[in-house]
Amino acid sequence: MSEPVSGKQRGVTRTRVQRGVISILWALAGVVLVVLMWEAVKFLGSFIELPINTSDTSMPHVWTMVDAFSNPVVRGSDTTVLQAVVSATLTSLKIALGGFTIGVTFGIVLAVIMQRFAFFERGLLPFVIASQTVPLIALAPLIVGLGNRISFGPIEWTTTYSVMFIAAYLAFFPLSVGALRGLQAPSATSLELMRSYAARPNQMLWKLRFPSSVPYLVPALKVSAAAAVVGTVVAEISTGVKGGVGRLLIEYARETTSQPAKVYVAVFGAIALGLAAAALVSALDLYLTRNLPKESQA
Amino acid sequence: MSTQTAAQSRRTGRFSGIWPPILIAVLFLAAWQIFVVARDIQPYLLPAPSLIVTNFFTDLSLMWAAAFYTGTTAFLGLVLGTVLGLVMALLASRFIVVNHLVTPLAAGLAAVPIIALTPILNNMFNITSRTPRVLVTMIIVLFPMFVNVTRGLLQVKPVQLELMRSMNAHPRTTLKVLRIPNAIPFFFTGLKVAAPLAVIAALVAEYFGGPQEGLGSRIASAAANTAYGRAWAYVVASIITGLIFYLVVVAVEKWTTPWTGRTRST
Amino acid sequence: MSSVQTSHQAVDVQGLWKIFNEGSNNEVTALSDINLSVKPGEFISLIGPSGCGKSTLLRVIGDLTGATRGEVFIAGETAPVAREKQLYGIAFQQAALFDWRTVRRNVELPLELQGLGKKERRERALELLELVQLSDFAEHRPWELSGGMQQRVAIARSLAVDPPLLLMDEPFGALDEMTRERMQNELLRICQETRKTIIFVTHSIPEAVYLSDRVIVMSPRPGRITHTVPIELGERNEDTRETDTFYAGVTAVREALRGRSASASPPRIEEL
Repeated sequence: MSEPVSGKQRGVTRTRVQRGVISILWALAGVVLVVLMWEAVKFLGSFIELPINTSDTSMPHVWTMVDAFSNPVVRGSDTTVLQAVVSATLTSLKIALGGFTIGVTFGIVLAVIMQRFAFFERGLLPFVIASQTVPLIALAPLIVGLGNRISFGPIEWTTTYSVMFIAAYLAFFPLSVGALRGLQAPSATSLELMRSYAARPNQMLWKLRFPSSVPYLVPALKVSAAAAVVGTVVAEISTGVKGGVGRLLIEYARETTSQPAKVYVAVFGAIALGLAAAALVSALDLYLTRNLPKESQA
Repeated sequence: MSTQTAAQSRRTGRFSGIWPPILIAVLFLAAWQIFVVARDIQPYLLPAPSLIVTNFFTDLSLMWAAAFYTGTTAFLGLVLGTVLGLVMALLASRFIVVNHLVTPLAAGLAAVPIIALTPILNNMFNITSRTPRVLVTMIIVLFPMFVNVTRGLLQVKPVQLELMRSMNAHPRTTLKVLRIPNAIPFFFTGLKVAAPLAVIAALVAEYFGGPQEGLGSRIASAAANTAYGRAWAYVVASIITGLIFYLVVVAVEKWTTPWTGRTRST
Repeated sequence: MSSVQTSHQAVDVQGLWKIFNEGSNNEVTALSDINLSVKPGEFISLIGPSGCGKSTLLRVIGDLTGATRGEVFIAGETAPVAREKQLYGIAFQQAALFDWRTVRRNVELPLELQGLGKKERRERALELLELVQLSDFAEHRPWELSGGMQQRVAIARSLAVDPPLLLMDEPFGALDEMTRERMQNELLRICQETRKTIIFVTHSIPEAVYLSDRVIVMSPRPGRITHTVPIELGERNEDTRETDTFYAGVTAVREALRGRSASASPPRIEEL
């Protein structure tokens, strides 16, 4: 009659790095499991009538997918599918990071304003929170349409900017909420202490509120990064802008009758994009929490 | 000047009540309207709020049809994902291996655009039906629900487990009497995240081809046909749909668990 | 009000009232007609049951909350000015050290806010850590220190700007009895070396008697000062807590705490 207990309860405490490595190993095991299930379904489908189309054009074997990495993109082309996908993923990553940075910056600025001025907190916070429950991504085609028709003097607004803008505003909202919560986190005692030092508001902000907000900022950064990535990919799809992985997804999806495995490589690219962004945010997390006790760290 | 907590200020300060958000909303819409009219901006750039509202009510039946289509996809995906997530969470609470396998996968998938799976699902299943879209929505909903409910089932206080042990309770009893009730607030926390996600997923999945009756397809085609007033009206319909899903969950939560006040921070 | 007198007092409280939510139906009179004078170098304790206003009084003196009526002077200045001029240092029951700063940088905090240069700050912080005997821990993080050590850092920090007055709100309340007694000795030693005026809020009668020159007894509803018990213990050492004078002092304070309810109705549970 054993209850599953966590490692902590059994008296085993691991370092963050150890826990990370163990997580990755389990994740890999999970991936292996998915691969096995994939092939199992295909096997089953070869002699039983399943509602899934398990033919090799719809569900290529895993080894076919790996094979497709080295196929030429177009017959006779020099670039392999893998190269094309990697290059597109990097382009998308740059756009996503750009959007992320802009969204995070504005999100922090808004959080500071909302913390400092109660009117803006009361007036704006409901909208910020509500915006996370609605599909803002629905605006994507409209923003692109708008972007294609305007220009700021000599600067041409390319579709890429529209994509970055969409990524930015998707990243902006979750970050504002997390940042605000963090800025409001200091204990009453810490606030009284600062007041006893006759600290000015900007001293309060930089010496107390920002440092205290880090444990709240970090999970918000993770959500924002994921939102920026999704925004980038979806915006690329709805705009068809060249260069990014979203465009490849659509292009390769059209070629499933001739080259069924290509689209899978593109999907892996999109997954890699998300993981790369998450890894960068984790690195940022490690840096921001380097001086904090273990409980504050993710 | 005393040092009140922020929460206290919000309850009693000059800016309490509902008028600040309403004031800001009104000011924003007024500014938008004035800007468009004064600068004579064409609808294909930025339609005035008045134009959007007109379009919305003129095409109300269209709005409703599209919202209903996407909403149904979202709802089906939400239900399937929640059920599957619950089943997996129960397994994870009983067999720690399941937890170890799925949780890192869930954390990893939280960072990636799962919606990118839609083309694959379109191939595996009938692209002319809503099945691929429901499935991708289900997958997107599954992981947040799993993570939250598993946390709720497992994060019982050690002293509570000791109590159950002292009463010689069978694991199944502990599950029924302690873990599941403990997990209910976590379930709703997950659902409040998953429901809007389902709407977003159902909408975005429509960008990958297939039946064009839903909100996502309609916005894209209206934009392509430069019917921007109508496109924005569909956007408003999407926002309303998302809000409805979220508010229904909040209402169900309040109705079934009226005793839960503020959620304790975990 | 005699200006000649006030300029000699470390702290002068005159006719102080503090009323929360004045006018509404949850109005609370936290302090009523408080009059208190503290001479420079004196150690006084404020003691009383919950709700007697001792912490509120400390906060009014520190200008952390405003007075409804009456006046507060610190070294002749009004409370807000005294706070601006950093004429006092404060220590709370929670050490409230910043986790993201080392011990030394926590002690440097008030100096940083006053704009002191890096080198001078560092020297002063190390000097203070020496005073509280924590020099070896200057570059450690707060969470690596025990509760008692964290409070010593908090005390060092409260001395950073070398203020003439120290306000302390139950700083040893969260510590165990043994650590508490050690910290009391520490505090007295620091007090002697630095000659500060100290206003000390506490729940503990022995603590109040051991540390103070005078024990100010307060009672609630409305918050007011009911007795002042002078303490003549002379030089404190490890046997002081077992002398007759000490016991007499403890008894005097205890009687004073009971005194008000004995003359009126029988004590209700919440007044004990």
